[in-house]
Amino acid sequence: MESFALDVNTYSQQNYKKIIKKIIFYITLIVVIFLSVYFIIVLDTDWHRIGSGGGILEQLSYFVGLDFTIMKHLIVPTFETFLMACLGTMLGLFLSLPVAWLGARNVTPLGMVSFGFARFLMTISRSVHEIIWALIFVGAVGLGALPGILALAFRSVGFISKIISESIEGADKKPIEAIRAAGGSGFDIMYYGIIPQILPTVIGTIIFEWDINIRRSAIMGLVGAGGLGLAFFRQMHMSNYPGVTTVIIFIFLLIIIGEILSHFLRKKIN
Amino acid sequence: MKDIYQNNTSKKFVGVCLFFFVIYLCFLYLGIDFERFFSALGRFGSLIANRYYPVDLEYALDPGYLQSILNSVQMGYLGLVIGVIIASVLAYFAAANITPSKRIAYPIGKFLIIFSRSIHETIWTILFVTIVGFGMLAGVMALTMYCIGFFGKLFSEELENVNMKLVETIRSNGSNEFQVFAYGVWPQVKTAFTGILIYTWDVCFRASTIIGFFGAGGMGWYLKRNVLQLEYARVSAIIVSIIVLVVLSESLSAFMRNKIQKETQ
Repeated sequence: MESFALDVNTYSQQNYKKIIKKIIFYITLIVVIFLSVYFIIVLDTDWHRIGSGGGILEQLSYFVGLDFTIMKHLIVPTFETFLMACLGTMLGLFLSLPVAWLGARNVTPLGMVSFGFARFLMTISRSVHEIIWALIFVGAVGLGALPGILALAFRSVGFISKIISESIEGADKKPIEAIRAAGGSGFDIMYYGIIPQILPTVIGTIIFEWDINIRRSAIMGLVGAGGLGLAFFRQMHMSNYPGVTTVIIFIFLLIIIGEILSHFLRKKIN
Repeated sequence: MKDIYQNNTSKKFVGVCLFFFVIYLCFLYLGIDFERFFSALGRFGSLIANRYYPVDLEYALDPGYLQSILNSVQMGYLGLVIGVIIASVLAYFAAANITPSKRIAYPIGKFLIIFSRSIHETIWTILFVTIVGFGMLAGVMALTMYCIGFFGKLFSEELENVNMKLVETIRSNGSNEFQVFAYGVWPQVKTAFTGILIYTWDVCFRASTIIGFFGAGGMGWYLKRNVLQLEYARVSAIIVSIIVLVVLSESLSAFMRNKIQKETQ
C-alpha cells in the first residue's frame, strides 16, 4: 500500500512540475510578444507619417485601378520571367547533380571530406536568399536575364541536390549489388542501378522547384536582372500605382498558370 | 522507367538535340551572350576572390548591426505569430472537407492563401513600405502575408487529410462547428501543426533577414547600405552572418522537431 501511495505522490509531483513548466513557457512567450510589439510597433513606427486610419486608406486607394496602357509592354517581360524560371531550374538541376553525387553517403567518393563539402555547398545555397544571389551575379555578369538565371540556379541547387542525395541514400541496394556482381563499373551502377529508382522523385522535385522559381524570378528585376520585377520596379519608381497593381496582377496570373501546369504534370507522373 | 532500359539511341539523340536547340532559342530570345554564360562561373569566382574575400568579420560585431539582428528576429517572430493566427482561420476555411460553408468561406480562404503566396515577400515589403512608411511595421506586415501564404497552404493540405470518420462521429452526436473542430479535427493535426509552425519559422526568419533591403528594418537595411557604398568586405561579413544565423535557427528547429516527435510517440 505504501509504495502505491508513494507512486501517486511522485506522479502528482511530476504533473505539478509539468504544469509549472508549461506556465513558464507560455509566460515567456507572451512577454516576448509584448516586447516585440513594444519595440516594433510603438517605438520604431513613424506614427506621424501614417496619421490616422484615413491616411492608410488614402494610400491604399492609390493602388486601386488598372493601367491599361502598360499591359502590352508587360507581355514580353512575363514571357521572359517564365523562361528565366525554366532555364534557372534546368541549370540548377545540372549543377546539383554532382553536388548530390558527392552528398549521398553511400556513393560519395572521398568519404567524410566530399560529403561534408557537398553538405556545406547545399547549406550555403539554401541559406543565402535569392536577392543576395542576384546581387552577386549582377556584379559578376552584368544586367539582364543571365544573372537572374544564374541566381535561380544557385538558389535551387541546395533543395534539389538535398532531395536527390536523400533519395540516392534511400535507394534499394539489391539492383546495385546485382550490377556490381555482374562486373559493372561505378558509372554503370549509377546509370542502371540508381537513376531509374530515383527518377520519379527527382522529376517531382524539379517540378516543385520550378513552381517556386517562377515566384522567385518575378522579383529578380528588383536588383537588376530582367523580367516582371524590372517592370514592377519601374512602375514603383514612377509612382504609377495603378501600373503597380497591373504588374502584380500579371505576376499573379503567371504564378497561377505555373501552379496549374505543375499540378497537372505531377498528376501525370503519379 | 522502362525507357531507360530500352536502347533506342537514335530517338534519344534527336530528343537531346531538340532539347539543346530549344535552350539555344531561349538564349537568343533573352539576348544572352554565350561567351558570357560560359565564363560566368569564372567571373563569379574571381568576383568572390577579389572583392568579397577578405571578410570584414569585425563589422559583424558592430553594436548597431547586432541590434539589427535582434530586430530581424523580432520581426520574424511577430510576423509568424500574427500570420499563423490568421492563416489557421483561413486554412480552416480553405480545407474542402471541414469548411464551414462551401459557397462563401471556401473560395475566400483559398483565394486569400493563393494570393498571399503568389506575391513574393519582397514585393509585399515594397507595397507595405509605400503604405505605412519605412520601418519594422512594414516588415512585420509583409512577413505576416508571407506566413499566411506559406503556413495556410501547408496547414490546409494537412486539414484536408484528416480522418473524416472521427469528424462525422462527433458531428452526428449533435456537436456544433466549434466542438467538431476542437474534438474531431484538432487532435489529429496537432503534431503536424507544430511541425509546420517550426518549418514556417525557419522560412520566415530567412525572409526577415532580407526584407530590410527594401525598406523594412533589420539586417537587410545594413546589407543595402553597404551594397550601395560598395563596401564588399562588409557585405560578405553580413552574408556570412546570415548563413551562420540561418544554420543556427535550422539546427534549433530540427532539434525541436525531433523532441516533439519523440514526445508524441
